Amino acid sequence: MLEILLYGAVTSAIYALLAVGFTLIFGVARILNLAHGSFYALGAYATYVLSSTLHLPLALAAPLAVLCVAGFGVLLERVLVRPLRGSQIGVLMITLAASLVVEQVLLITFGSEYRNVPSFIDGKVAIGHVDIGGQRLLTLGVAVVALGALLLLIHRTRFGAAILAVSQDPEAAQYLGIPADRVFAQVMGLSAGLAALAAVLAAPFLTVQPGMGLLPMVKAFAIVIVGGLGSIPGSILGALLLGYSETIVAYLVSTSWTELVSLVAVLFTLVLRPAGLFGKRAAF
Amino acid sequence: MTVRRDLVGAVLAVSILAVAPPLVGSSYLVGVLTVAVIYGLWAASWDFMSGLTGRENFGFALFIGAGAYTAGFLDTLAHLSPWWGLAAGMAAAALFSLLLGFPTLRLKGPYFALAMLSASAIMQRLMLIFWETTGGEEGLYGIAPLFSSPLAYYYFVLAATVASVAFLVMLARSPWGLILRAIRGDEATCLAAGIDVTFYKMVSLIISAAFGGLGGALYAHYQLQVSPQLFSVVTTITVIIMVYVGGMGSIYGALGGALLLTLLTELLRDFGQWRLLVYSLTLILILFFLPGGLVAPLWRRLRGGGGR
Repeated sequence: MLEILLYGAVTSAIYALLAVGFTLIFGVARILNLAHGSFYALGAYATYVLSSTLHLPLALAAPLAVLCVAGFGVLLERVLVRPLRGSQIGVLMITLAASLVVEQVLLITFGSEYRNVPSFIDGKVAIGHVDIGGQRLLTLGVAVVALGALLLLIHRTRFGAAILAVSQDPEAAQYLGIPADRVFAQVMGLSAGLAALAAVLAAPFLTVQPGMGLLPMVKAFAIVIVGGLGSIPGSILGALLLGYSETIVAYLVSTSWTELVSLVAVLFTLVLRPAGLFGKRAAF
Repeated sequence: MTVRRDLVGAVLAVSILAVAPPLVGSSYLVGVLTVAVIYGLWAASWDFMSGLTGRENFGFALFIGAGAYTAGFLDTLAHLSPWWGLAAGMAAAALFSLLLGFPTLRLKGPYFALAMLSASAIMQRLMLIFWETTGGEEGLYGIAPLFSSPLAYYYFVLAATVASVAFLVMLARSPWGLILRAIRGDEATCLAAGIDVTFYKMVSLIISAAFGGLGGALYAHYQLQVSPQLFSVVTTITVIIMVYVGGMGSIYGALGGALLLTLLTELLRDFGQWRLLVYSLTLILILFFLPGGLVAPLWRRLRGGGGR
């Protein structure tokens, strides 16, 4: 029971980091970013290169990796997405193409074998009768702090006010002197950084290979649809629902069936409540 | 006038495809062309739903895989005559399209694209997880060929594709297709005009899926094996890139795009690992510089006259 509680929380935390970034860029810029999974993969590989190849200490490599991926996100928005933002299909196609390019470049550079990313904490911690990896607990803690910081950023700072204004009406925000285009790029960077953070934390206990971004992105879609596209509280709640449902299914039935949970959740949500749990007209 | 020229162009193109293998006399070319024509069938089917109604299907691989695996299971497990596989593949793909289209096509926005992408990715995982029945990474092998000679099979595939594409083009140019185009233009106006938008999208998805499944079954009987790679996003994106190269919404352009890209990649054969990278970069370039595609606009210019 305690095991389900702990492992479910870790899974939910990783999902929440991914889903919140995905929903954020959609809520603000109406960009459905199919390259979100490649941010995740790039985060893991950047940590791998910085720590294992360049031998930087992990405490330096990890934040650097997150920054690099955030920069990549800004670049992606600037160069590829912005010219096509007029059409939703154009954005979908260009981000899908970009994610494929990233995957192929990773495949050609690093090959298809699994890589090991070092962890911050190697030992295990005993909570009650459950032994849980220290890295997993760290993931949970950092994710909670990061999500809290994000909510503070959005609701308590000038930058957050600009994000909210642009998400409600980019043109009106522009008239009030908020540079909507710059906010889009910054939010894309933020979203990429969150995905990379999830990868840096989770990569030590997951498999790192070029195609690793796809399935987490599919999970992020599912969460965002369940929670409501564009809603941050919705996607946190959706991440908890999906993370715990998967963990419970894994314990009670078998790990084989966990992949089906998200698909079933998506189909049920779309039939019963298409807007998702928290989906409204407003973005947040 | 334009219809007659279209017919002349079609007959010309098909005769080139039919005559080329015996003239060149290489069994390698027969293989390449068989795959190219099957990709053409997939691209045309994708274009029929997504190009006409503007609802991009990012999980088309699901229908391809469903058709191929159904044909494979019928052949290797049930030992039915391989011909049943073609019909069953179409039916299985249509069933999946019903299952996924019903909840997603009623909704506005990106739900359809996302749900289809997720579904195909999850199907690929399921093929690996339930490896006892699906053969896992290796998939199903030992599927019986439909014809003993590869050339005969090529002609069969060519005939099936030409018939399917002709059917799809005719449907797209009928009043029925006009409604689909109208849905792409303005869904709200269509609703106001009393058109049951969801019904039309649903039926066009079922048609698109059925022909995708047919292509999948044909592919299974060509490769004589099926692998979970068929379900991958890469399969879908390859098909979509072919449609973009061909020009969206014309259907024959998609077939042309598929032939063009497959034959061009054969030239890049020595750079096998770069193939997908080249494909995705092609897509980015086309999106930026040739949003209308290449094959269909070129043909329209050659043919003269307006229309599609």
